[in-house]
Amino acid sequence: MYTKEELFRAISTVIDPEVGFNLVEMGLIYDAVADEEGNVKVTMTLSTKACPLHQMIVQWVKEAVEKLPDVKDVEVEVVWEPEWNITMADENVKKALGA
Amino acid sequence: MFQISQDFAPPFKLIAPFFIIGSFFYLFSSVFLFGFDGESLSVMNPTVIAFAHLFLLGFVMMIIFGAMAQLVPVVLEVGHFAVELFYAIWPLLLIGTLLMIGGFLYAPALLPYGGMIVLISMMIFVVEIFLTMKQVKKLNIVMTSVLLSNTFLFMGIIVGLVMALGYAGEIDVDIASLLTSHIYFVVGGYVSITLMGLSVVLLPMFGLSHGFSLKPLEVALYMMSTSVMIVFLDALFSFSSIVSYIGYLLSIVAMGIYFYQVYTIFKTRARKENDIYVKSLFFAYLSLIAALVLIALYFLSSYEPLLLAGGWLIVYGLFAFAITGHIYKIIPFLVWFERFSPLVGKQKVPMLADMLPPKSSEAQFIFSALGVIVVAVALILQNTQLLHAGASFLVVGALAFIRSVFYMINFK
Repeated sequence: MYTKEELFRAISTVIDPEVGFNLVEMGLIYDAVADEEGNVKVTMTLSTKACPLHQMIVQWVKEAVEKLPDVKDVEVEVVWEPEWNITMADENVKKALGA
Repeated sequence: MFQISQDFAPPFKLIAPFFIIGSFFYLFSSVFLFGFDGESLSVMNPTVIAFAHLFLLGFVMMIIFGAMAQLVPVVLEVGHFAVELFYAIWPLLLIGTLLMIGGFLYAPALLPYGGMIVLISMMIFVVEIFLTMKQVKKLNIVMTSVLLSNTFLFMGIIVGLVMALGYAGEIDVDIASLLTSHIYFVVGGYVSITLMGLSVVLLPMFGLSHGFSLKPLEVALYMMSTSVMIVFLDALFSFSSIVSYIGYLLSIVAMGIYFYQVYTIFKTRARKENDIYVKSLFFAYLSLIAALVLIALYFLSSYEPLLLAGGWLIVYGLFAFAITGHIYKIIPFLVWFERFSPLVGKQKVPMLADMLPPKSSEAQFIFSALGVIVVAVALILQNTQLLHAGASFLVVGALAFIRSVFYMINFK
């Protein structure tokens, strides 16, 4: 079944329209696991609890993973611990933002 | 899963009229300044009162109400009680504001009618917000700010209506003593506290700030609320002048502490890019600091033009730039949500930043900022020509703002 890297690669097609980076390089995707039956669970966070795109981003992540051919079901859990901060983002994001 | 909210983005057609009408009122207010005589300005002058209502009701309130249709669910983390009520708010606010302006300038008999229509529009707004708040299970400090600000708005419009009846000769009241509490309820209690509460959500959201304390906001909020109540009670019971001065002083300190809160948010932001939003907010908060200095100087010198210039910087510097800055975030988001979000994953969609008009937003910022500064200097020097020169800059800035608003709305 799919590895964490393959799932992350699929999710990396989802871009935050406000900052212009994908969710993986932003460090917002904490984990992604797939079992033998094709059930996937993604654990992620958002940069703010007040994000108006909350539900939409969750939907985009779900749809991005569902595009993988052997995926049967996708569950996306949004967590707030650990709280996201810029140190979780990739170096290219930090550099581009000036952090 | 922890659900955050529903209905984060109401239909744009519901909010668009608030922003379009508000931006035109921004232009009308700027044009209105040409009618001012820099040497004889006074807060009781009908032209000044008409201008204040044109600007505060037509521009500030109109845009805040529209923005709240989208921001309330973001801040309160629950869906609106009945967001459709906003379809009734803008026409009533528009008609009421126009009648009030006509009343102040030409026919005082129009004032109670205009005041009553404005009252109805605001009551609809306040009741909708209160009913939305009923769904909130536990209030945090930001939600408390929404509760406080709307309570003050309610009280401010009641006082305003009493004043309108007095102004039209219907009842006998001391308008001068009620004026200060009306200003404090609406400007200090509603606009300032709304700004305080919303900005601690929006500034970190756009700047990706983390790890700052909200304690300064809490102190500023309660201090400003106490100040508003002191000023109101003083107007009712005429305590000694020391009491009213304590009220004024508390509001100045509260705004200073709020500025410190904003500073801590800016200091911890990860996103250092200075786009039109950040630049507008910088100017807004610099205006606040300049205003606090001028007001402090007024208390030391009793030179009234300093107070006028301080008030000017708060309304046309702080409030106007905080509003125009946020418009450059809110309109692209709502248009993007409606027009482009269904296309995500199917075709290339623009980023929110792509939807900003670089030239007109820059022109708006430069001309409006210059206008605010020139008018502030003109008020201190009591120079009419300089005041009209500043108004010219503001009119060009307001035209550029209208152009930006339509550019973002029509982005395809």
